Amino acid sequence: MRHDASPQRCCGRPPACRRRAALLLAALVVLPTGLLAQEPDLGTEAQRAAGRQVYLEKCAQCHGENGDGQSYATPFLRPAPRDFTAGIFKFRTTPSGELPTTDDLRRSIREGMPYTSMPAWRGVLSSTEITNLAYFIKTFNDDFTGPYGVPTVVEIPRDPGFDEDNLERGRQVYEENQCADCHGNQGRGNGPSAPTLEDQWGFHIRPADLTKRWTFRNGQTRRDIYRTFTTGLDGSPMPSYDMPEEDRWALVDYVWSLSRSEPNYATAAYSHAVEGPLDLSRGPALFEEAEPAYFPVVGQVIEPGRSFYPGVNGIELRAVHNADEIAFLVTWHDLRADTRGRNGPDLPAPMNEPARPDTATTFSDAVALQFPATLPTGVERPYFLFGDRKNAVDLWFVDLAEGTGRRYIGRGYRDLQPASDGPPIEVRTAYDDGAWQVLFKRARLAGEGLSFPEDTFVPIAFSVWDGFNQERGNKRGITSWYAVYIAPLEQPAALGPALGYGLATLLLGLALVGYTRRKYRTATA
Amino acid sequence: MNLLVFAAVLAAMLAVRFFLKNLHILVWLALWWVALFVVFKYGIEPPLPASIVNMFMAIVTLALLAYLSATTSYLRQATEAVVRFMVDRRFTVPLVVVLLTVPALVAWQVYAERTARPTPPVSGRTIHPPPPNTISFKGKTIDLVNGENPYRALETSDPEAFAAHVENGRRIYYENCVFCHGDNMEGDGLFAHGYDPLPANFNDPTTIAMLQETYLFWRIAKGGPGLPSESTPWASAMPAWENFLTEEEIWDVILFLYDYTGFRPRAREEIH
Repeated sequence: MRHDASPQRCCGRPPACRRRAALLLAALVVLPTGLLAQEPDLGTEAQRAAGRQVYLEKCAQCHGENGDGQSYATPFLRPAPRDFTAGIFKFRTTPSGELPTTDDLRRSIREGMPYTSMPAWRGVLSSTEITNLAYFIKTFNDDFTGPYGVPTVVEIPRDPGFDEDNLERGRQVYEENQCADCHGNQGRGNGPSAPTLEDQWGFHIRPADLTKRWTFRNGQTRRDIYRTFTTGLDGSPMPSYDMPEEDRWALVDYVWSLSRSEPNYATAAYSHAVEGPLDLSRGPALFEEAEPAYFPVVGQVIEPGRSFYPGVNGIELRAVHNADEIAFLVTWHDLRADTRGRNGPDLPAPMNEPARPDTATTFSDAVALQFPATLPTGVERPYFLFGDRKNAVDLWFVDLAEGTGRRYIGRGYRDLQPASDGPPIEVRTAYDDGAWQVLFKRARLAGEGLSFPEDTFVPIAFSVWDGFNQERGNKRGITSWYAVYIAPLEQPAALGPALGYGLATLLLGLALVGYTRRKYRTATA
Repeated sequence: MNLLVFAAVLAAMLAVRFFLKNLHILVWLALWWVALFVVFKYGIEPPLPASIVNMFMAIVTLALLAYLSATTSYLRQATEAVVRFMVDRRFTVPLVVVLLTVPALVAWQVYAERTARPTPPVSGRTIHPPPPNTISFKGKTIDLVNGENPYRALETSDPEAFAAHVENGRRIYYENCVFCHGDNMEGDGLFAHGYDPLPANFNDPTTIAMLQETYLFWRIAKGGPGLPSESTPWASAMPAWENFLTEEEIWDVILFLYDYTGFRPRAREEIH
């Protein structure tokens, strides 16, 4: 059972109110029995003073000198740095609406929040420094010093371990609690409510992509997952859930089964050589034999059109080729298919712009594969951001509102020219439950310009535009250069030479022993 | 260097030397070979490429053979042992095992090499590329050899003004640099995992601590695109900040980098 009827309501009602209600209840029930004797854990004056020193040095640049989350970096960070004065904390071992324990604050500082600007401070700060910091952070909100400062702790029982038999029940729990409303049917963070979610401060907030465990802000162990939905993430639309113990572990098992623990980022994709024709109408099935390569997508924060919180954080590539053609399948997760509006790599975008989700659907989703315009003979490659004056890039661009391919020759973001020469590109697109699938096909060899010869690493880079995030032109998610290897159509023989070398070595060994024995016998005779 | 590995290997070799007397010369040489292999393979950071390790081990093998053949008694000991192994009936079973194992290993190695997937070409990186003597910054010539951070002198003459410059540098850093170089300047920012080579780690004593401030100015102002054309390839994603920052802002962020990390810039070398 969900504690709050709707995610919107849960963030609309500030936990401070809830806290007051809770206190009233506590005053009625608990105070008379005199059980409120426990003091808040606030540390000593010296510990808080030491914590303040560390805070001003390491934390204030994002969380602000007054702990209100207002700083130089704030406009550029999403999720925004925590405002400690509000007394609302996402990561707790305490019930929804209550303050975190000292250990909760310590854990957040120590482990950080993966894939946000909050780094893990273990290894940089000592355990003592982290404790002092936690005590200092408690000084930003008075509730810590009062009766709310002694929160109840939700015990997490021993993990029974992953049990495949639980998955069916886990799937039911996922459905009963409407997890899919935000996180999507397959957990890709693309539920129907996903585009409308806001946090306490009115910023749009993306539901976690449950297939990418490494991005879980509250940690990716099974206990972390258990804690996250048991205590909820205050200030965000993620409520806390009340359910029987077995159901909790079944849900943990289910979330566990949806996700990989590591992104296993690749540096190269290996195109699979096939004999038959490459028929794009077969869809992703055409790429069944090809091994996927997953590359990290980061924000383009280098040139104007800076994208500090790109909508996409990774892209997967598969490639197949035959004697004449090569085909690529790129897939990535997107919380919504933006197929209205338009997009283009050459649309103007300001240097910086405030974050606001695109409700007007002005810009559509888009993707581009980037190759050097001519295969580099040496190791030098074009500048990875749309090329440079000396070395041009060949962009295979697809505006997903149109679903057809366009080519550009790029010599930097200010010099992108539509290209019409060279072999034509065939494109197919599909959006399947939170995942875009875009297929490309082209002749493998071209007289001039870009070719994909056998036994060659061809440099490849990607751009992804999330229309929801108002990404267009140079405001985009990017990758640096990676490579796609075009395997030879005929694999060189391996077994024959291996046996040959082995046999030769054996004969050599026998000859050596035979020679030595004969010589020895002659010597002793 | 991984001092732990060095210490462990040294301790193991000393223990063998003092506790196992009268080791056969071949065993002793084999121990040396293994010890050096461990040092090359695991004792050096960042790890040496396999081809370099193989080359070093070939040299080590030759050197050990040379050592063996330099002393007649050692050489005789060694040859006698080898001949005995091949001739003596007691060793027939191990001899057959060796005669079969070695060809099998060779065959397996050849097969693995032929079927191995090729690895993508690595993008090289020169840690501190040589700077030019002067650069042109928005039409102004900046002397990288004899120049200085114009605001560095304020550190002693006007600490308050100096602090204002450092604070401005802090603002610049958190608006522009933190995304790659990270909160703690360790090159592990939010987007760092998208780049190879990784962004520079300013807390590492081999980066800004051993460079002049003018060198930093050059790298920040000109970025990856401004790297010298010799000793390419450069895969640096560092932008040319001259397009977005003023000269004063660059000097200020340099002051902030040293202030935050606690390092001092390398002083200009005086030539007398």
